[in-house]
Amino acid sequence: MSESFNGPWCCVKALVLPVLESWKAKGSSLERMNNSKNQMDSDIQKKIDHEIRMRDGACKLLAACSQKDQALEASKSLQTCSTRIMAYMSELQRMKEAQVMKKVPRRSSDAGPMDDRRPCKGKVAISDLRIPLMWKDTEYFKNKGELHRCAVFCLLQLGGEIFDTDMVIVDRTLTDICFDNTIVFSEANPGFEMRVELYSCCSEDDYSAGNTPRKLASKLSSSLGRSAGKKLRAAMDPGPCSPVSNGGATPLLLPVPSVPGPKYHLLAHTTMSLTHIQDSFRTHDLTISGNEECSYWLPLYGSMCCRLAAQPHCMTQQMMSGCLKVKQLGGDPQSWTKVYGVLKGTSLFCYHRQEDVEANVEPAFTIAINKETRIRASEKDPQSKVQNICISNQYGGEEVTHTLTTDSRDDTHRWMEAFWQHFYDMSQWKQCCDDLMKIELPSPRKPTPVTPKQGSLYHEMVIESSDDLSSTVSDILARRMRELELRSQLGTSPTWMSSLFEENNPKGAGRPRPCTSRFSGHSPCTPHRPPRSPASPHRCPQLSLLSSDASLTSDSDSHCSTSPCSHRHGWPDPSSNFSLLSSSSPSRMRPRTLSLDAKLSTLRGRGFRGGGTFQCSCQPPSSSPLTPISSRSPLSQRSTQTTLSCSSSTSSNSSSNSEGSHSPESSEGAPFSRPSPARRSLRNLRARLDPRNWLQSQV
Amino acid sequence: MSNFMPGQPLVAVVQRIEIKKLRQGENLILGFSIGGGIDQDPGQNPFSDDKADKGIYVTRITPGGPADAANLRMGDKIMQVNGYDMTMMTHDQARKRLTQKKEDVVRLLVTRKSLEEAVKTSMGGCYPRQ
Repeated sequence: MSESFNGPWCCVKALVLPVLESWKAKGSSLERMNNSKNQMDSDIQKKIDHEIRMRDGACKLLAACSQKDQALEASKSLQTCSTRIMAYMSELQRMKEAQVMKKVPRRSSDAGPMDDRRPCKGKVAISDLRIPLMWKDTEYFKNKGELHRCAVFCLLQLGGEIFDTDMVIVDRTLTDICFDNTIVFSEANPGFEMRVELYSCCSEDDYSAGNTPRKLASKLSSSLGRSAGKKLRAAMDPGPCSPVSNGGATPLLLPVPSVPGPKYHLLAHTTMSLTHIQDSFRTHDLTISGNEECSYWLPLYGSMCCRLAAQPHCMTQQMMSGCLKVKQLGGDPQSWTKVYGVLKGTSLFCYHRQEDVEANVEPAFTIAINKETRIRASEKDPQSKVQNICISNQYGGEEVTHTLTTDSRDDTHRWMEAFWQHFYDMSQWKQCCDDLMKIELPSPRKPTPVTPKQGSLYHEMVIESSDDLSSTVSDILARRMRELELRSQLGTSPTWMSSLFEENNPKGAGRPRPCTSRFSGHSPCTPHRPPRSPASPHRCPQLSLLSSDASLTSDSDSHCSTSPCSHRHGWPDPSSNFSLLSSSSPSRMRPRTLSLDAKLSTLRGRGFRGGGTFQCSCQPPSSSPLTPISSRSPLSQRSTQTTLSCSSSTSSNSSSNSEGSHSPESSEGAPFSRPSPARRSLRNLRARLDPRNWLQSQV
Repeated sequence: MSNFMPGQPLVAVVQRIEIKKLRQGENLILGFSIGGGIDQDPGQNPFSDDKADKGIYVTRITPGGPADAANLRMGDKIMQVNGYDMTMMTHDQARKRLTQKKEDVVRLLVTRKSLEEAVKTSMGGCYPRQ
């Protein structure tokens, strides 16, 4: 026990030891335990052993894996296993304490009125967890290519059950953290407390840093490099992972596995109870721990939306069933109806025969048993030997009373007991007993679809081709785009792109022209992407380039007017937009290409330099897509801004250009190309359209 | 400029400036350049105090032009143009607001640091800052 443990393990060790010491002192008397207690002990012991084995596996996996995703998943399993072990051990200890307490004779003053009646248990389910984020636009603008990402997951604990959700990678492009899992806890008391904890871990290269502040971590990550980091990790030994077990009793020593690798930290937590249960979505407050300096920090909005539902057993199971004789009050005293009654949920179903219950035949009639029902035992009927049970309900304005009787006093007693229990359950479960809430059982886990981490628009884009030449070209283009994305350092512009802009390029005539045209066909309408979709920072400059090309075409009036107008609001998703556009103007490709080249050459001829303003021929729609943007995530506008302050003809400018030779004072933010001086004019244009510059216009 | 919180009422000392547009061929020009806008990166604005201010600023004055004659200064923040608010505009919207072909004259409300300072010193210490 000379090893130093940190955190929770210390506490557990401290708790477990004194109890076991006192237990040993009691000697053999305590060994004579009930069989049931033994059974429960060994159950928990088995669970603990199982979790310890899982934890060992996770440690080993963590030490062995090299990929970030695997490491994050393994670390998450490790965290879950550790929490479960803690919970089981404290459960075990509580049971042992209870046994110890039992042996101590209780004084009469200690024993208060024992409430024997216990409410029924129920299923509690939480689903559709959504935690909104609140990014600052300054964070967004400071982006220099690094995208701070965190891996998050939720740990939910109710009673002795602990579940974790799937892990989600969160970065600046997401507005909410969504967990799709439905978690069902099967045995919950009405007085339950469900603890929801959000853990997050910074997902960057250097793992050995642990909880370093973000700035330092980013400096370290840039200085250490991947190979150095790996060496570091190998150098650190994984540490002892197997616990020492102490015969059949709980393992005393649980050394903390000090594995290198991503460690999750608690970011926020909240506790839910019966009052939060509702059959619809509700928002709950989160308590956030941690601050901006932590590497695992995420700007949480401070609340959590989810659907918390419960199905108490009294609503879903048959609480009581048996043969009855029912008579309506005020009717013929001899007209008893023999029925088979089933008490379930908010009704007493009376079937003609017992077999009807399984056969799903409709009951003969149904008596409501809810909070407004009144049940009492009536005086002894002179004709029968047993008491009757009277059930009164208010149907509309009328009071209707049914009288039940059974064959024996015991039966009557049991029915009364069942009714009292039912009322008690309903009073404990409160709003859950008004109506049966639906709980979707989690379906067997489907393998999660593999999505590219930094999804590029070009991956999603469907380039519909109308003829063979264009299809091969589009294939080539798509492949090249993918290559570009994979390089993820768009500093070196690929050679084929430079060929796009050479005028008088007879060799490339067949190829680049259709390419340009196709993209120019798409570009003016860089879609207003819904805030959810991932937008890699590298994507945007490409689009801005392309949009600038299209804007230069003078015969683009009709084109401009159709595409932006038709895609004004609510772009469904990028892929469908692009496919729409490509299919809508296949015929116009060729002619426009020529004019594009012509335009480019005229521009060159004028020695055009960016800095003047252009008059946009497609004015009205241009600014509207910018407006319906949620205030919480200004960053999602990023991709839309590329086009819209753009413009088509340059004729009005030459005059204004003459006095203002103003190049934009701001830095060339476009990260993706270092074009040759010959293309400076286009580069200036691109720079103008890049939202990360600060445009200036002459008026 | 006082702290600018988008959506919150703003108090500022403003100066009225009336610029008569000059006709140059087909165009009516004012003779200055603007920068800024809600769709631009405010951190790159050299004239603003608060680097989160996304307002429209005057970045250059053509010497001898109409704006120069009307006493517009470089670094001024344009608050209103002909009654239209300019504090929540995109760059392009602002430019359009200034270059309406039907308007010969633009009446601007501008604010600048020196104005606030002047008022403060003249009023002693009791200038209500926002």
